[in-house]
Amino acid sequence: MKTRGRFTISSGLMGAALCGYLVWVLFPMVWVAYSSFKADAAIRTEPLSPPRWAEIDGAGYVRAWHEARFGDYVLNSVLVTGISVALILVLGSMAAYALSRFHHRLGRLVYTLFLAGLTMPAQLAMVPLFFELRALGLLDSRPGLILVYSANGLPFAVFILAGFFRSLPRSLYEAAIIDGCSEAGAFWRVMLPLARPGLITVAIFQFIGIWKEYFFAFMIVGGGDGGARTLPLGLANLAITAQYRGDYGMLFAGLVMVTLPILVVYLFLQRQLVSGITAGAVKG
Amino acid sequence: MATVVISNLEKVYTESKGPGVKVVHGIDLEIKDREFMVLVGPSGCGKSTTLRMVAGLEEISSGTISIDGTVVNNVLPKDRDIAMVFQNYALYPHMSVYENMAFGLKLRKFPKAEIDARVREASAMLGLDAYLDRKPKALSGGQRQRVAVGRAIVRKPKVFLFDEPLSNLDAKMRVSTRTEISKLHARLGATMIYVTHDQVEAMTMGDRICVMKDGRIMQVATPLELYNKPENVFVAGFIGSPPMNFLKGCLQKSSAGGALLEFIETNDKAAPVRFMLDAALSAKGASHVGRDIIFGIRPEDVQDTGTSTAPNPAHTIEVKVEVSEPMGAETLLYLTTGVTNFIARVRPTDRFEVGQSVKVTFKIESAHLFDAATEQVLK
Repeated sequence: MKTRGRFTISSGLMGAALCGYLVWVLFPMVWVAYSSFKADAAIRTEPLSPPRWAEIDGAGYVRAWHEARFGDYVLNSVLVTGISVALILVLGSMAAYALSRFHHRLGRLVYTLFLAGLTMPAQLAMVPLFFELRALGLLDSRPGLILVYSANGLPFAVFILAGFFRSLPRSLYEAAIIDGCSEAGAFWRVMLPLARPGLITVAIFQFIGIWKEYFFAFMIVGGGDGGARTLPLGLANLAITAQYRGDYGMLFAGLVMVTLPILVVYLFLQRQLVSGITAGAVKG
Repeated sequence: MATVVISNLEKVYTESKGPGVKVVHGIDLEIKDREFMVLVGPSGCGKSTTLRMVAGLEEISSGTISIDGTVVNNVLPKDRDIAMVFQNYALYPHMSVYENMAFGLKLRKFPKAEIDARVREASAMLGLDAYLDRKPKALSGGQRQRVAVGRAIVRKPKVFLFDEPLSNLDAKMRVSTRTEISKLHARLGATMIYVTHDQVEAMTMGDRICVMKDGRIMQVATPLELYNKPENVFVAGFIGSPPMNFLKGCLQKSSAGGALLEFIETNDKAAPVRFMLDAALSAKGASHVGRDIIFGIRPEDVQDTGTSTAPNPAHTIEVKVEVSEPMGAETLLYLTTGVTNFIARVRPTDRFEVGQSVKVTFKIESAHLFDAATEQVLK
């Protein structure tokens, strides 16, 4: 490029604006992160300063983990999110493959049904869903929540993955069939690995969505003894109690524990979002 | 290896309404053991559909296909013992070159050592040794093409199927790969069915060629037989570049008497071109005196009288030069009778002006007569 390395006023302004935006976005997160290591008194007296080296204090985490039952919530969240995302990927990819590969008279209808799931606000289904789950005895249980999350995530997964499968050349499937694959073999060994960017996209979106989901969780596992509560519920609980106790250290520690996995998962998986993984399959 | 027998094969694509579209109309074809059979024809002639039915990728509407005496209509592609090279190669992008070639053997549960030996043998044969660990995207078009061939070779199938494998390569690669596939056929001694729309590929590679049009077989013959003895106007015009010249007209008894016939061009603009046929051609045309006829002659059999060694005035006509194309080794003359355009292939040293009148002589013993209605050759 011609302008490479040349400094112009417009590029300088652009850079300054972007730096400002970066600080704007990043500061609250960084502030919460370092404040979670400060003692309560220090948070109140010097709210903006980072903790001094000698004063670093993990007591907020210990209190959050034990007193506020974050240990249980983390386990619940990991189980519910992990199993839901896995179910969405497995069922979604199979449904999407079938809908994009085989032309059945009802295929169009089923696909439209999935799309309709995307357009309908989940809140509409809440009341019937609540009674249904109660009738099934799945209220205040992890399986109940997993069921709802998986069903809710399927339309998105089918929508994204059907597009992916459709973009894969049919000759790859035919080559696999001639090479000796069964229908299922062609799906698992050839088509599914090629849909990896789509699978990762779905995984990231669903993980983030489910990990921080509050509404369904509140309705489905918010009651009872609270044994099936997930992190967002725990955090809300913590915010309410901390408000009156003034335990900001514990609150910030809880916030970090909720946010960190999302950041880690995103950073880890976004590298895998390699588009163009199919490059070289066919003449490009 | 294997013979492939196709009998009364039909393919109908069903529509939601109506009777469906028939793309293959009951064809019969026998491909002999170790034969290199080329299916050639313009796009939409049903050649690829036929190949895909042999592969098992398309359902057979009616008729049978048998490989080595066994009807395979209801046999899954993987159990037909065939391998196919696709037009777009269809390499598995997430596997290395080695894995691509080994995939079929792995699925068939071959022992590891055997797989390794076969992959290495094929890669040595195709010059792919240095690329075994690469992914397809890191290969050039020609290399990908060779991997696709390698994937077929390692399986040691009864029949190799090629679906326009060279059409994605540039002109130079196409020529060199063409020879490589021919060599491979000689070396493997396998039965191969090769689909192409390129008549040069067909002529240079095929042991026999099956020319198809609109879902029907026009002629099956060796390359030279197709060239020298076309059965119909379509084959005569399809094989050969530039194509055979056709003059429409009718036959009448020669005024000179005897059994000789005279050809008179259908021409209402200027004086029609007319010339004598020789004895052999007259005999073939005897039944068609007074009927519409097509006279066919190849460009190399049209010689200008200035350079022809012994121009025969009986087979000479006068035409105008429209374009002269020097090709280096030869010159192509685009001529016109005023109604019909035709091409002559002359020596590069001969010079012609555009618009100039020239006398050309037909090498009449190489000419053909076709019935204008049926387009079949007169024998």
